[in-house]
Amino acid sequence: MIDVQELTKQYAGRTAVNNISFKVEPGEIVGFLGPNGAGKSTTMRIISGYMPATSGRANVAGFDVFHQSIQVRQSVGYMPENAPLYTDMRVKEYLRFRAELKGLSGVTMRRRIGEVMELTGVTDMRKRLIGNLSKGYRQRVALADALVHKPKLLILDEPTNGLDPVQIRHVRDLLRSLKSKHTVLLSTHILNEVEQTCDRVIMIHQGRIRANDTPANLTRQLRSTTLLHLEIDGTGKVAEKLAEISAVRKATEEGLLVHPWRRFTLRVEPDHDVRDEVMELAMKQKWRIREMHRQLPTLEDVFVELSMNAGTPTDIPTHVL
Amino acid sequence: MRIFWILLKKELHSFFVSPVAYVVLALVMILNGFAFRAALSVLESAPSEGSIVSWTFHAMWFWLSYFFVFPLLTMRLFAEEKKMGTLETLFTAPVRAWQVVGAKYLASVIVYCVLWLPSLFNFKFAHWITAGQVELPAGAMAGAYLILVVMGMFNLAIGCFASSLTSNQIVAAIISFTLSLMHFLLGIFIMVVGRKISDTIVDVVNYFAATEHIRIFTAGLIDSRPIIYYLSMSLLFLSFTHHVVEFRRWRP
Repeated sequence: MIDVQELTKQYAGRTAVNNISFKVEPGEIVGFLGPNGAGKSTTMRIISGYMPATSGRANVAGFDVFHQSIQVRQSVGYMPENAPLYTDMRVKEYLRFRAELKGLSGVTMRRRIGEVMELTGVTDMRKRLIGNLSKGYRQRVALADALVHKPKLLILDEPTNGLDPVQIRHVRDLLRSLKSKHTVLLSTHILNEVEQTCDRVIMIHQGRIRANDTPANLTRQLRSTTLLHLEIDGTGKVAEKLAEISAVRKATEEGLLVHPWRRFTLRVEPDHDVRDEVMELAMKQKWRIREMHRQLPTLEDVFVELSMNAGTPTDIPTHVL
Repeated sequence: MRIFWILLKKELHSFFVSPVAYVVLALVMILNGFAFRAALSVLESAPSEGSIVSWTFHAMWFWLSYFFVFPLLTMRLFAEEKKMGTLETLFTAPVRAWQVVGAKYLASVIVYCVLWLPSLFNFKFAHWITAGQVELPAGAMAGAYLILVVMGMFNLAIGCFASSLTSNQIVAAIISFTLSLMHFLLGIFIMVVGRKISDTIVDVVNYFAATEHIRIFTAGLIDSRPIIYYLSMSLLFLSFTHHVVEFRRWRP
């Protein structure tokens, strides 16, 4: 659906997007993740045909975004950051104007406007002036506008920005329900949003793609080790014995809880699960185990790590890239 | 073409739901009232060659309204959309730059024409109340309103261009006001120094001078040259506007 090749965008000497390439397949929900100013909006603006790239190529639904801009814009529903709208129009009036611009008319248009208003929950607001709506409702009107012509591709720039938690959940559910009909590219700097909504995450920082994978894979591939918390009743040098398991980097005793229970933490190599081996060892040593809990790194850890290692791309461990 | 009408409808809508059109209309009606009164008092005091139409459009009041109208009507066209960010939503819909520029321009021309309708009523009223003693020569009427429309189209195109340059409405208004004023001052320049410079220069400058055009047309002389001049200059400024708007797209 989207095919971006070696895209670069420079503004007066500053490189906002630096030689990025990625693809989005039909039906995918892809999250663009990065700190503010990473180049997310710029990339989305180029893909939606609003501005040209300095170099490189971008295709949407088989059309070139620069040379076949009109066709691209017909197949894209774009919602810019902060949902800019005409404040002097009423909700329904605005959606009607946008639907007409995008080529809808007559009964089909009226029915479709009703549908998207229902879908985004603005039906009760249809006669209100957009200028008098709260931020959350404006965001929904902008989303309704992006959806109104049933675009093949939805590009949403920070769709949940400025919404309250209930509204965020609503938008998230909505996006998931759209999955069968639309391809979605959304940007955000909120991690658990992509973790919960997206099939794939493209992490972008300082204009470069840092990672491009499923949320689960990304967290799994994280350089940080997995932690395993244990509570064991055993005698002797338990920590030393645990450390002998091959994938365990380090075993530390956290201290005595209630006698005779002791707490241990194991640092395990990434991509290894040592829980079976721990069980076997415990059986052999006649230890009792009453808790074993594996702590996986969150996407947030990946994100922070990537942002910290921002200097040059070589700082990034190759298995994350 | 369908897109163009949709955009035009929207632009007209935003003129008439905002106070802009009504404030400008009120301003123009007041100043026109003064201009009309000034013309009546001229006719009252002594017999005159000029008709009431020509005296009205020579009044200082008329020029006062003339300069305020263009910046007020055009300053928001592009500047407001830039500031609000709606230009981005607009240009990610399947619309072309010429459709947007054309629709915004034509909407301002239509509103501008509406502004002069009440002045027609002034003339008719004077004619009717004096039982036809105040004459309304058909040529002067046609000439006056024709030149008003084409001069307006020219100045509105300037305003449109000024608005496309900036995201600040005040700056847009000042640019458009300054350009219109400079154009007008050409005629004043000739009035002031006309006797001291060569006739060729006077003729050349008069060809561009708004005051001269008004003088000829309100006398009932319809000359094709100013019409062609204003229309072609309007097109020129509209194409500048189009380039500024499109610049976003081809800027490297």
